[in-house]
Formats: sequence, C-alpha cells, structure tokens
Amino acid sequence: MSRPPIANQIRRLRFEHGEMTQSELAERIGMTRQTVAAIEAGKYSPSLEAAFRISRVFGAALEDVFQWTEVG
Amino acid sequence: MSFREMSAWITLTSVLVCFGVYFGSLATGQVRAPSFATLHLLLLCVSALVALQIGLHAVAARFAPRASRMLKDEREQLIQMRARGLGYYALMAGVLALAIPGHMEISKIDLLNFALLDVVVASLVVSTAQIVMFRRGI
Repeated sequence: MSRPPIANQIRRLRFEHGEMTQSELAERIGMTRQTVAAIEAGKYSPSLEAAFRISRVFGAALEDVFQWTEVG
Repeated sequence: MSFREMSAWITLTSVLVCFGVYFGSLATGQVRAPSFATLHLLLLCVSALVALQIGLHAVAARFAPRASRMLKDEREQLIQMRARGLGYYALMAGVLALAIPGHMEISKIDLLNFALLDVVVASLVVSTAQIVMFRRGI
C-alpha cells in the first residue's frame, strides 16, 4: 500500500511540548493512540479537521505540522 | 492493540469456532440435514457465538475501559467502512455462487445452509479486512 505524500512533524513537536505522549495527544484530539501512531508514522492521512486539531494542540500553523512532499 | 482491533479478533475467532463446528459437523456427516439434530446444533452454535462475543468483549473492555467507551474515531470508521465494503462484495459473490447448488438436486435446507455459509464467509472477510487494515495501516 503506497504511503500518502504527506510528511509530518508530530513526533518532534510532541517532544518539544514536554515530551507529550501519543496517548496524551490522542486524548486531546479525541482519537485513539493507535490512530495518532498511524498518523505519525505516515500510514494514515488525517482529515482536515483532525489536522487542525493537532496543529492547535501544538499552537502551530497547519503547514508547520504537515507538509506535502511529492516532487513534481 | 486497540480495542477495535481486539473486537475484530474476537469476532473472527468466535465466528470461526462456532460456525466451524456447525459446518464441520455437516461436512463430516456427524449430523445430517434436514433433522432436528441439525437445527439444535445450529441453535447451540448461534447461542455459543452470542455468549462468546458478549463474554470476550466484556473481558476486553475490562482491559481497556476507556477505549471501549470511546466512539470510533475517523480512522476506525474508515476501516470499518472499507471492511464492510469488501464483505459486501464477498456476500454478493456468494449469492451469485448460490446459483450453482441451486441448479443441483439438493434440498431447500441444504440451500439454506449454503446461504448461511455465504453470510458467515462475508462476516469473516469483514473481520479479516479490519485486522489487516489495523495492522498495515490505511
């Protein structure tokens, strides 16, 4: 299964925010830890709403958390 | 393992065990349809399936009380939707395949058993697809 061309900085941002765990982030955005792990690993592209929720937790702009990586 | 994935495993194994016993007994000739023994075995297997599902889900919920009370998130909903889509194809393929025994000299009870097998296979496809998508990611 091909991965979506979307990179994310969630792992880095979690550690920059007091070493927040995946469970803590999941609880704050109303998702399961497994879904957060899948997003972080690039196995699942979140909906726009979920992406904004994640960005808001870190107080960052959407494009600082998620980046389109496809070349060309 | 998430509660939903555990739930898919519970469904897969309980359906495999309960209907495995039922169809296994029919295939090996331990019971022969139509008979009350077949009907009683079917009722027993369905009752066992319900009891297993309730019991195992209760145990799983004890290990993950919060996750069991949470609504499905968007990824879990997407996995469920895609898995059910695959199950629907399996069900439709089975319905079309029913035409084969339907044209043979078999009893209506046997034909009903083939239809039941179709439903069981579709259920197994849904559970298996859910587990694969939880494991591999979507």
